[in-house]
Amino acid sequence: MSSDRVVVVGGGPGGIEAARGVAGLGLEVTIVEKLERLGGTPISENYAALTPNFEDAEAAMDRMIEAMLALPGVDVRTSSTVSACEGESGDFKVTISGAAGDETIDAGAVILATGFQHFDPGRETQMYGYYEHPDVIALQDLEAMLKDHNVVRPSNGEAPKRVCFVQCVGSRDRHIGNEYCSKVCCGVASKEAIEIRKLLPDCKVFIFYIDMRMYGYWENQIYWPAQEEHHVQYVKGIITEVLKKDGRLLVRGEDTTMGRPMEVLMDLVVLSVGMEPSRGTREMAGVLGIQQNKYGFIEAANPPLDTVTTSREGIYACGAALGPADLEDTISSAGAAAMKAVSLLRSGKTAAASS
Amino acid sequence: MPTGGKKNPVESFEHETVTVKSTISGRDWELPGMWNRMFEQRVIFDYDTAVMEKIVELEGGESLDWCYGCGKCIPVCPVDIVGEYGPRKVHRKVQTGVDLFNDPDLWLCTTCMNCLRVCPKEVDMIQIMPAVREVAVSEGNVPSELQDVFQNTFRYGNALGESPRKRHAWTKGAGVDVKVLPSDPSPVDVLFYVEDYWSYHPRGHDAAQACARIFAALGIDYGILGPEEKTLGDSQRLAGEKGLFEALMEDVVATLDKYEFKRIVTPDPHGFNALVKVYPTYGHEYEVLHYTQLLAPLVDKIEWKSEANYKVTFHDPCYLGRHNGEYDAPRTLLQAIPGVELVEMGRCRENGYCCGGGGGAMWLDSFTGNHTVERLSERRVKEAAEAGADVLAVCCPYEVSRFEDAAKSTGNETLLVKDIVELMDEAMGNGSQA
Repeated sequence: MSSDRVVVVGGGPGGIEAARGVAGLGLEVTIVEKLERLGGTPISENYAALTPNFEDAEAAMDRMIEAMLALPGVDVRTSSTVSACEGESGDFKVTISGAAGDETIDAGAVILATGFQHFDPGRETQMYGYYEHPDVIALQDLEAMLKDHNVVRPSNGEAPKRVCFVQCVGSRDRHIGNEYCSKVCCGVASKEAIEIRKLLPDCKVFIFYIDMRMYGYWENQIYWPAQEEHHVQYVKGIITEVLKKDGRLLVRGEDTTMGRPMEVLMDLVVLSVGMEPSRGTREMAGVLGIQQNKYGFIEAANPPLDTVTTSREGIYACGAALGPADLEDTISSAGAAAMKAVSLLRSGKTAAASS
Repeated sequence: MPTGGKKNPVESFEHETVTVKSTISGRDWELPGMWNRMFEQRVIFDYDTAVMEKIVELEGGESLDWCYGCGKCIPVCPVDIVGEYGPRKVHRKVQTGVDLFNDPDLWLCTTCMNCLRVCPKEVDMIQIMPAVREVAVSEGNVPSELQDVFQNTFRYGNALGESPRKRHAWTKGAGVDVKVLPSDPSPVDVLFYVEDYWSYHPRGHDAAQACARIFAALGIDYGILGPEEKTLGDSQRLAGEKGLFEALMEDVVATLDKYEFKRIVTPDPHGFNALVKVYPTYGHEYEVLHYTQLLAPLVDKIEWKSEANYKVTFHDPCYLGRHNGEYDAPRTLLQAIPGVELVEMGRCRENGYCCGGGGGAMWLDSFTGNHTVERLSERRVKEAAEAGADVLAVCCPYEVSRFEDAAKSTGNETLLVKDIVELMDEAMGNGSQA
């Protein structure tokens, strides 16, 4: 028996947009979210404002959720996970596990939108002392402070006078195994740098980078204003290690364009951590039986011209489950996944229909 | 492990020598300080942002921290080719806490504008340098040779410290009458603003006299201000003496108000720049031409008497070319002269190489010499010689003396340096060398 329902796994921006797309095209959709609340990483990791437009993250997500719920045929399952997916395209039996137990529903297609997780900077060979020094934090830790409008040194609760960002933590690193660029961290760090400068005008902010990777309009939406209007100081050269000194943090690296070593004291060090596949992405790859690439992200079947089709017919993926993606990428690929899922079900060419 | 925390000022040993035992001969070698840089502090201990903040707060200094380090400016900076200086490097040094207000780098920029031409972020050294220099000047941090020029200008109204009464002494050798407006204040078409170097420098006299003969031959109705003329002071402004520039402007405007004329013509691209770009911002608008722009439309009326058989290359003055967009008028004149074969140097027109005299650098030759391996003028003269030219033609009064000195010091004595009017005068048969 064929089903026209689409199951979307993951209730972040990608999942919400995919569900909205499917419902908007007139099919029924079930969106499954592991956490109690929809909204995904921007909500669960306490993002303050979105990159690049500084919109309040919570308000933006709520706006998306409202638009989705306003459509007919949207079934929301929070505090739930997908634990099994049997069958074939057009006729999947998807088991949803929630507090009330397991329920198996019929679905014609599945869209995976389980996203990424922040690289754990305490892992492996990094020498930034993320777990040793309270004043070494990561991008999302700063987001949480920005959301509270209270940026302080965790060690003593005082406002920092000097903050630096260290780019490419957990990205572009053969040693760690993440050879890819995480795409968003240059922009997010610059956005947060602007927010610090606005919140604490006396605080000096530095960004230590290998090369600034600002895609498209982010260049003049974030990078140039950070430099030209907010006087964030960009220094080419990455930090090798962070040491404790006199109650502050000594960052050591090379100032590459001066060709000299540097050892500069900071009050707060923000690690611009990259993206790794989320636990949900890794687990769901197994549950759904779809191929992952060497980094654990979902492998797109035929890139670059088809970025959302996975190795199993009828199952699509979108957003950062496919690899590093900013919000714009995520929203675009979610739309593409919804379109492909609905096309498949409307075409009558599913495996179930052909058998 | 080295420790940090306090900014240790960099100690320079540049002017000292060091004795090193040769590993080959065993002899002691005296090495100059430039080999001694390895003993400078290597580690950067601080990024003191105070200087950068001070600069970007200045009117004109805003764009210094716009630099994103692409380095496009470096290969076109005329100074970096002969010394360790370039706009990107200035940005980086200031970012590391170097006090530009007290640094030699502040005086090396010639404001030639080639960096701005290629800068994707529009970091504007033409605004930044005068703004920072103005502060340095007000704090008394000025190289002494430049300070002397400021004083001369203030006292005598010209950079050379000459008597205003001698300002039109050159007219005596012109062989034609030159109307001096204070003696004959009747209206003229052209007010010829001679400026300092044609008024006082012996080689400037040659050009001024040639120009007077050409004007006479073409029947141009003009007059000069003679003893009442003061420099327009654009290079003094760019060297940081905005106050002096403004004081001069008051005097100049008062003098100009006394006479009736339709337009101002000047041989000096620096004065031209002041009148065209800066005076209007103070509400003083005049019709202004560089002499090449006055003469270029008139070439068909010139009766040539002889040929000037030279292979000529032309040096674009930064303040006529890049700053004000005039590349064709000088070439029109040169190509009209019978016998002249015009050959271009590799760096010409928009990418013309600076003679080293702009932005006050005209008066910093000793200072700049201590920070560069070669004069910019020497570099340029070599390029002219490489182009196979017999004559290096110029149309900026700073350049004849600069390039003649450079031709001698680089062993290119056979290369003649001539103002375009001298070449024209020669072919018109009324020149001293005709």
